[in-house]
Amino acid sequence: MQLAYYPGCSLQQSSALYDVQSRRIFSELGAELIEIDDWNCCGATSAGKVDDFMATAMPARNIGIAERDGFSEIVIPCSACYSRTLVAQQRLADDTALKEEINSELGARVEGSLKISSILEALEDRVKDGALKERVVHKMTGLRPVCYYGCMLTRFPYAVTVPDDVENPQGMERILKALKIKAVDWNYKTACCGASAAVNDPDTSHNLMARIIKDAVSRGANCFVTTCPMCQMNLDAQQDAICRENDIEERLPVFFITEVIGAAMDIPPEELQTDRHFVDGTTLLKELEEHEEKGK
Amino acid sequence: MTVPTIEVNPAQAQPFLKQVMDRSGQNLSACYQCRRCAAGCSVGDETDFFTPNLLIRMVVLGNRQQALSNELVWKCVSCYTCGTRCPNDIQTARITETLKKMAKEEHLEPLQPQITDFHDAFVRSGIRWGRVNEMEFMGAYEMKFALRKLSAGKFGAIFSELNTQARLGMGMMRHRRMHFGFLMAKGRKEIKALQRKSKQRATQ
Repeated sequence: MQLAYYPGCSLQQSSALYDVQSRRIFSELGAELIEIDDWNCCGATSAGKVDDFMATAMPARNIGIAERDGFSEIVIPCSACYSRTLVAQQRLADDTALKEEINSELGARVEGSLKISSILEALEDRVKDGALKERVVHKMTGLRPVCYYGCMLTRFPYAVTVPDDVENPQGMERILKALKIKAVDWNYKTACCGASAAVNDPDTSHNLMARIIKDAVSRGANCFVTTCPMCQMNLDAQQDAICRENDIEERLPVFFITEVIGAAMDIPPEELQTDRHFVDGTTLLKELEEHEEKGK
Repeated sequence: MTVPTIEVNPAQAQPFLKQVMDRSGQNLSACYQCRRCAAGCSVGDETDFFTPNLLIRMVVLGNRQQALSNELVWKCVSCYTCGTRCPNDIQTARITETLKKMAKEEHLEPLQPQITDFHDAFVRSGIRWGRVNEMEFMGAYEMKFALRKLSAGKFGAIFSELNTQARLGMGMMRHRRMHFGFLMAKGRKEIKALQRKSKQRATQ
């Protein structure tokens, strides 16, 4: 089975590990991710603050390319890219004049037939068809993750149909459950990390992340699991500074969901590139494995 | 701080309200000040008394100056919590995004110029190359930051920013999160044509 794949700019640069993991996990689960031809930047959240027309036009071109090449479903792991593309598709469906105006400049016109899936939706399909369950090797006993969804995967600037609850999404929990991992319940799963504020307004973003980290730590979690490269980078790269500012002793690795699935499938951490985290995550994964060996 | 009185400006109220409603696509007149947006606002701690419902009120009453220049417009992180919880489906984050653009068009000095600079640098990189190059756009942003602080004589701010970014950069190198290749999309011509169209639309 082949699915169209939009990696986006982050997954080709600072979050390249997420790209490696996504391709690998889906191929292990019998779905090949095919990167769409000559895709462009989706404009992310910045375009909406600078130019509304471009915020729709940029993702539109990618939708057109995927449709022209005959795909019926596209998987977008980055939460911001997913949000922008989904919103653009709906805006074009609701405004035929805008659609015509944008289409007139595109080599591959947008029709509107493409299903846009977040990585969670695409993974849940593999849970439903049983592919994921079959591949699980490790029990990962001792992993106490909090599932962190952030903003872009749950809340949208335009009315779109979403597959999960906006205030208490459960997609990640359901996937982890298929791996026999019980996620820790907490209050900040859809809270905002500040996104680009980490660079342009650090005080605000540090305050936001401090609350997120404090709640995760006080619930006894030993890692974060996320799908958003921006959330991952922020919580990972800024965590040490934030914890020092707030007298928090613990440091929690921030895993992508693909990393946890990969580890449960017995893919070595090196192949998943787990060593590319600021907060060390390989030690925890190794400990879990040793713990499991002892139990046998 | 106490909440200031909102000046009522009947002459300005209607055209301003219409402009914000058209551009943001939000029906501001549906707001009945229930303050669910205020209760959920992620940056509530940062914006003091200035809550999303107050912003709507200001627009409705024609208080243009304050609506375009306040902490909420610039601190808003577009988490879309306010709009998701609004009983009348008003996405206030779309209003702050619209007011950011309007403030820029009127050449008002933003309260947080670095926020505008950041998003400008990001979108510019995405349109110029078809894909965003992290190193390039961050370089452009940091340059702008330094120039702004330099002209304001704030050398300490430049030093502290350089220090923070250098530390982040070193960390990214150490963990192989820094990317040195250059990303481009051949179709950037189409993107640029669309941008020309967008500029035409804005002047019409």
